[in-house]
Order: sequence, then structure tokens, then C-alpha cells
Amino acid sequence: MARRRTGRFLLYLIAIILGIIVLIPFLWAVSQSFTPANEIFSIPIHVIPVHPTLENYNVLFFKLGDVEIVRWFINSLFVSTAVTVLILLFDSMAAYALSRLRFPGRMVVFFAFISTMLIPAQVTFIPLYVEMQKLGFLDSYNALIWPYLANAFYVFLLRQFFQGIPRDLDEAAIVDGAGAFAIFWRVILPNTKSALAAVGILSFTAVWNDLFWPIVTINSVDLRTLPMGLTIMNLEYGGTPGPGLVMASAVMAFLPVLIVYTIFQRSIVEGISLTGLGGR
Amino acid sequence: MAMVQPALPAQPRRAAWKWRQVRGLLTAVLFLAPYTVFFLAFLVWPIFYGLFISLHKWSLFPGQNQPFVGLDNYRTLLSDQEWWTALQNTVEFTVITVILTFVVALGAAMLVSANLKGQTLFRLIYFAPVVLSVAVVGLVWTSMWNTDIGLVNNLLNRVNLPSVEWLSSVNLVIPSLSITTAWWGFGLPMIIFLAGLRGIPPSIYDAAKVDGAGAWAMFLRITLPLLRPTILFVLVTQIIAQFQIFGQSLILTNGGPGTASMTVILYLYQVAWKFYNLGYAATIAFALAVIMGVVTAIQFLFLGREVEY
Repeated sequence: MARRRTGRFLLYLIAIILGIIVLIPFLWAVSQSFTPANEIFSIPIHVIPVHPTLENYNVLFFKLGDVEIVRWFINSLFVSTAVTVLILLFDSMAAYALSRLRFPGRMVVFFAFISTMLIPAQVTFIPLYVEMQKLGFLDSYNALIWPYLANAFYVFLLRQFFQGIPRDLDEAAIVDGAGAFAIFWRVILPNTKSALAAVGILSFTAVWNDLFWPIVTINSVDLRTLPMGLTIMNLEYGGTPGPGLVMASAVMAFLPVLIVYTIFQRSIVEGISLTGLGGR
Repeated sequence: MAMVQPALPAQPRRAAWKWRQVRGLLTAVLFLAPYTVFFLAFLVWPIFYGLFISLHKWSLFPGQNQPFVGLDNYRTLLSDQEWWTALQNTVEFTVITVILTFVVALGAAMLVSANLKGQTLFRLIYFAPVVLSVAVVGLVWTSMWNTDIGLVNNLLNRVNLPSVEWLSSVNLVIPSLSITTAWWGFGLPMIIFLAGLRGIPPSIYDAAKVDGAGAWAMFLRITLPLLRPTILFVLVTQIIAQFQIFGQSLILTNGGPGTASMTVILYLYQVAWKFYNLGYAATIAFALAVIMGVVTAIQFLFLGREVEY
């Protein structure tokens, strides 16, 4: 019995230590963001600022001409939302056709879709960029929205979920005189809400977090997404005015995300174990 | 794949039957069209167009002539020292990161499922870094690893250990990126492991306890074998994900010191957007695709049994 209790104690200890390791970088960033520049560079460093200051946030929001962190946040929100809404609509329509409609070549279309999942996205970076160039999409929201809609993974995922809905439900609707669109809208979608939520979370976070594509297609300061804006800002201001400012921008970027995550953590975590796959 | 159709009249008129077919096809086209437009324009076309570009000398700037050079870019690749360095670094990073992530994720999953008080809170905290973007992770950890004013060395100094050049030493830079990445991402496979662990019936453990099995024996003989499909899934998806490392090396080290943390995607990025050589960058992308295609094919081979088409 005593051995069992030490075992439990050890488990708690490990769990708490791991929790602290996970939390430390967050706390470090918060602490640094309130530290004045002269303290940051004084050695030995202070883990907690002696004279906490709001100066870093003041500079971040009001003093830098080429830093528009609020605008970048709104850009990221707009782009991620637009892509997610369009993916949920277009991809579930395609998945519905593949799961429920009868037409010649259905399996061919399906395999054409899923075979592209074997090809890593990087292959399309260069040609897509040239395509954006030719379409005149570079440095505009067009480049940040339309290419994300081509991902076949979500169609595949939704089709798998749709396959799981009993066909009795369709038939009942058909008897009631429902057509294909009515079945899609009133039978399939309402019965796959958790799957739709999961796909929505995956696509939203994938677009929200993407760094490569915005960095290569966007130039204007006011069109940057948040990750891109932060990355460039770090290159430009990492030395002076210094790490405190950069940490303030990091805190401003992760705080809203962590709040949303804490509120919706149950459905986020369930969504991810439902799909079995992460966004990255 | 037979579908149950509503009962048809015994002898449908031919015209009605034909109309039904046409209408069915039209409906399908209508439902498929919106996605398929983007699928063709931004996925299928670029794949072939990329192959075309890789066979040309192609500059980032439009308007310059783009002569056909055949397999020249591919020949260059084979003797390009920096490409091989990048590939080697990427493999090294992938191996370390996957092992680290795997161990921590499985450990965390077992902790969370061990019926501790506050397990929801533990899960909440462990998963939190996953929701960050790579930019935030990069900024925070640049500061964490800083040789002079970073937290890690500060903590080492407090217990009388010397400072370490985490990001500017050739040998440590990749492990440092791996630790950063494992911190960022272990929550994701943890969730998948949790789902796997929940699928193991508790009665098996009870029976083993009756037989006098210890915790370690139960882990080796019950947990690991029964988790096999989940383990396989996590390993393969992790390998593919980590192989695509870009943001961490861009933000934390920009490939340095020297080329010690240059990775394949970062190299592709530099070739295209720093040296303006799109033809060669497209070639790098195809080489990467071949390598990852092999890995992904293995994934489908192993997981194919579970996936219902």
C-alpha cells in the first residue's frame, strides 16, 4: 500500500513538472514583455522585472510606423474565417456527391481527389506562385484565400463521415419528397455537426498558423497576416528596441488564441481525436 | 457501393428514365463543381506546371526569357553540396524530434489517463502550445535560448552550470530546434494516444494485476502491443510533419550557424526568393516529393487496412 502511494506521488510530481515546463515559456514571454530594455540586457538577468513597465506595449501599438499588429490580427481572422467557411461549404458538397449521388465515374473522381493527398504541398509552392503572378493575385487577399481551397484532405475526411450516416435517414426524406439538395441540407449536414466542427477547427488553425505562403505572396505591411507580421518584425526589431518589444507582440498574438482555446478546449480536443489527424 | 434507390415503376418510360439520368448527372456536377474548380486550378495544374518549370531556367521575375534546359536542374541537384547538407539536417531534425515527441506524448497521455486529480487541467496545459503559430513559438524560444540573456542559460547558471551556446553551436542547434518543436507539438499525438489508451479494456489490466504483473511489465506486455496501430499512425504522421520544418529554422536561426540548421524547405525558400531561381526551387520540391512520397506510401500501406474507401 505504501509503495502504491509513493507511486501516485511520483505520478503527480512528474505531471506537475511537465506542466511547469510547458508553462515556463509563456510566463517568460509575459515577464519579458513588462521588462524595460535596460533591465533585459543587464547581467545577471532578472527573471521577474524589478521595475515593470508598459513601455513595450506602448511602442508596439502606437510608436512604430510599419507595425500594425491589430490590422494583422484582423487580416488573419478574415482570411482564416473566409477559407474555413468556403471549405465547409464546397468540400461538404463534393463529399456529399461522392457519398450519396449516383453518377458515372464517381469512383474515378474520388480516387483522383485522394491521390493528390500523396503529393506533399511543397510541390505546388513554386508553380502556384507563378500562377498567382500571372493572375495578378500577388500581394492581395486573393493569394491568401483561393489556393487554400484546393486541399483534398477535407473532402476525404467529410466523405468518410458522411458514409457513416445511416441511409435510412435519406430514404425517409426521399419518401417525404426531398430532393438531393434537401437531403444534403436537412439530413446530412445536421447529422454531422461534430465532424463539420472538427474540419472547421483543422482548416482554421492550418490557415491561421501558416507562415510560408503569406511570406512569399504578400508584400504590403497592411496585408500581412499575424504570423508573417511577427516574423518580419522580429527580424527588424529583434536587436533594437529589443526583445521586450518582440515578447510584447508574442503575448498579444498568443493571448487571444489561448483564451479561445480555453473556452472551446473540449470541442477542439474532441475534434482532433475524432479526425485522428492534426492540422500540421 | 450499391445504393438503395427508391422503388421505380415496373416499366418506366424510356424518356423518363433518360431524364432521370441526365438530372442525376447534372445534380452531381452541380455539387462537385465548386470544389473541383479550385482542385484543378490550384492543385492539379500546379503539379504539372511545376514539372514544366523544373525543366527550365526560370527566374522569379516575369518577363525574362525562360529557356528549356532539360534535366540540368536535376543534375545540379545531385552535386549540390548545400542540398545534401539540408537533407541531412532535415533527417537529423526529424529523427530527434519524432523520438522526443513520441516519448513525451505517450508519457503525458499515460499521466492524463492515470486518474489523477486535475487531469483535465493537465490536459489543458499540455495541449496549449499546439494552438500557437510557429511565429509565436519562434519568437518566444529565440528569447529562451539566447546565450547571454535567455532563460535556459540563466537557470543553468543558477545551479552553477556554465552557459551553453544553444543556437550558435553547430552540434547543438538541431537538438535545440527539436526540443522547441517537441514542446510546441507533443500535445497533438498525446490526444491521439489518449484515444488509443481509452480503447484498451481495463479488464485486461485487472487480469494482469491478479497474475501479479508490475506496472512496467503491464506497460511492455499490454499497453505497447495494444497501442500498436496508434503508435504506427503517430510515428508516420509525425515523420511527415517534421520533415516539412520551415518556420522554426527560419525564425530561430535562419539556417545558421553557417548551414548547420539549413533544412530542405528553408533551402527551397532561399533558392526561390533569395536567389530568384524558381526552376531550381521547383526541382528541389520534386526531389522532396519523391522522398516524402516513399514515406507517405508506407503510411498508406500500413494504415490502408483501417481506412475504409
